[in-house]
Amino acid sequence: MTDLSMRQDGVGFTVYRAEEGIERVWPMDPVPRIIPAAEWRRIEAGLIQRINALNLFLWDIYHEQHILRDGIVPARLVLQGGYFRREFVGVNVPRRIYIHICGTDLIRAADGEYLVLEDNARTPSGVSYMLQNRQVLKRVFPALFSDYDVLPNDDYPAALLDVLQYIAPESATQPTAVLLSPGMYNSAYFEHSFLAQRMGIELVEGRDLLVDGNRVFMRTTRGRQRVDVIYRRIDDDFLDPLTFRPDSALGVPGLVNAYRAGTVALANSIGTGIADDKGVYPFVPDMIRYYLQQDPLLNNVETFRPEIPAQRSHVLANLDRLVVKRVNESGGYGMLVGPASTREQREEFRREIEANPRDFIAQPTIQLSTHPTFVDGRLEGRHVDLRPFILCGERVSVTPGGLTRVALPKGSLVVNSSQGGGSKDTWVLAEGRS
Amino acid sequence: MLSRVADALFWMSRYLERADHLARAVDVTFHLDLDLHGVLANPVELEWNALLTLLRQPPPPVADGEHPVAAVQRWLLLDMANPGSVMSCVNRSRNNARSIRGSISPPMWRELNKLHWRLSDPSLRGRVAESPHDFCQETQLGVLLFHGVCESTLTHDEGWHFIQLGRHLERADKILRILDSKFSLLERGDGVDLPIRALQWGAVLKNCAAYEAYQRLYISRVEPERVVEFLLVNPDFPHSVRFCLTRIMQSLTAISGRLPERCDDEVVRTVGRLLNDLVYLDGTSLDGERLHAFLGDALARCARIGHHLHEQYALQ
Repeated sequence: MTDLSMRQDGVGFTVYRAEEGIERVWPMDPVPRIIPAAEWRRIEAGLIQRINALNLFLWDIYHEQHILRDGIVPARLVLQGGYFRREFVGVNVPRRIYIHICGTDLIRAADGEYLVLEDNARTPSGVSYMLQNRQVLKRVFPALFSDYDVLPNDDYPAALLDVLQYIAPESATQPTAVLLSPGMYNSAYFEHSFLAQRMGIELVEGRDLLVDGNRVFMRTTRGRQRVDVIYRRIDDDFLDPLTFRPDSALGVPGLVNAYRAGTVALANSIGTGIADDKGVYPFVPDMIRYYLQQDPLLNNVETFRPEIPAQRSHVLANLDRLVVKRVNESGGYGMLVGPASTREQREEFRREIEANPRDFIAQPTIQLSTHPTFVDGRLEGRHVDLRPFILCGERVSVTPGGLTRVALPKGSLVVNSSQGGGSKDTWVLAEGRS
Repeated sequence: MLSRVADALFWMSRYLERADHLARAVDVTFHLDLDLHGVLANPVELEWNALLTLLRQPPPPVADGEHPVAAVQRWLLLDMANPGSVMSCVNRSRNNARSIRGSISPPMWRELNKLHWRLSDPSLRGRVAESPHDFCQETQLGVLLFHGVCESTLTHDEGWHFIQLGRHLERADKILRILDSKFSLLERGDGVDLPIRALQWGAVLKNCAAYEAYQRLYISRVEPERVVEFLLVNPDFPHSVRFCLTRIMQSLTAISGRLPERCDDEVVRTVGRLLNDLVYLDGTSLDGERLHAFLGDALARCARIGHHLHEQYALQ
């Protein structure tokens, strides 16, 4: 019944490797995941702390680079990182915010503690599923909502629009914001159009925009119209063929210079990828201590760095028990899940790690917590994670709940939508009821 | 509004109207075929070939053991290899809608999406070989639902007007084509008895969803001259060419924000001149060759309207 509901709504998540066509309905499990109020308070505080530290880190490394000079984070890791944009050193971004929208992946370890698996600080997706799952569940189980006090998550689009307007150039009294999408063949296109519609802003593609005299315009039926803020869902590399990849047909020639000149704001900013780089990830707790003088409220998953010789030997000796990730990949592609791997796969990773130890990190295989899930007519435990969404504008806010992803095949630990995962509605209960 | 969005709205609507007309034409032809089966030697050839001619389509490929009529029906309704089939049109309409989902209301997208999934239902498609009626009805119902939802859930602003433009331009074009092809066909049909000609002209009306409306207005047998008059110049019936052009003019005026006489663009001029010709048309002067010439000219002008529209608003 949820499947029928989603299908009529045309909620699709395009999977790059799907052979049945470009559109597949992403399965939703009808059993909600419930988070008590006290538990949520701690998660929320930890996420706010973390994004504040990451924004301070980005400002720092694109300006004075104190944290590198003080040796807290290895300079080489940042300056030679694939996502560091040296073109943006010294550029002042509006309101000093780099990451406006962040989706942080949390997992729950055996003892119940929430750990940060990774930050998604570039163009995180999934928020539309969080909103859509709630709509579907309200339609399917209206009675449940009157029995529980579930915090609503419906304010997200309005809060996002507040952020976009907050970062607009001061000269724009009534700023025009747009959402820049790669177009309908992108895997998250449904989300782009959903958010644009909920915010009431134009959904544009690169070909709709042009830059003239360092100012950005869109092509309309009444001629050109000025654009002040761009919520871009295109990676840095494809944003502007004049600055980054010259073969990009998705971007807007001249956009980066306009951004540099301050006539248009971008969310997220350019160069945030260095903050969610898997190589930089192990240092985020140190950043929190360094910039905020606080202890992290949310811990990282224990992480080994093969470039340190002692850790490398540990990683190589335990490939069958670890999860090995490439530092420049995301979306669950190109990783080795030790316990599920073949000897050949492990040998291949061993050779690569020995050749380029800096390109990898390794983590223990964590038994993700399980949650009751509706499978073939009955409830069974399936592994889940949690991606809350954090917005950073005039203030930092975390939408109650987030997207719970669930690994549908029995025993599977991979929850990515691109790898056979599904999702659940996530309920944060109001104070006093949990 | 973004030119790209205006373009997608226009074509979303235009392809849907095309699917609607084709589904109705197949349904009407199917039933006419049943009626004429016993009285004419080869009604199949006559009616189905006329439909293919109207659509400017060659006879479709016939699979082994397939009845030629079943092949035509499959080709016109289901076949994705035919870019003009109902299924292809709905698909194109949906793709246009998908590319601009933020610019239509969620219920509109839902209806269009539901139509797509219903028409993809294997059991519905399987029944086409026996009778295309259910499939054709589903299509027409889906299109009506879509426009009903559009009417009451989408702000009647610029985007809505581009939807109206696509719909009415396609409809005017189709009515003109139906009249043109049927007229020449029936002119040649000498020696056919009166009841049968009435049946055939009734089918022309049904092709334009106009049968009952015609009866109510004229309270008489179906007369070819009146059919032409009704479908060309009736000011109030939604499937008359004049009605469509009036709507097109209203939308153009709303989009430009100026009165028609203040507009100096080619689109408004072309629409205005054609509309005037229809309003002041002397119906009695149109018979045989002159009617054919008039319809051909009107079709060419409709094509020019589409062309100018694309230039004026930088549609792609």
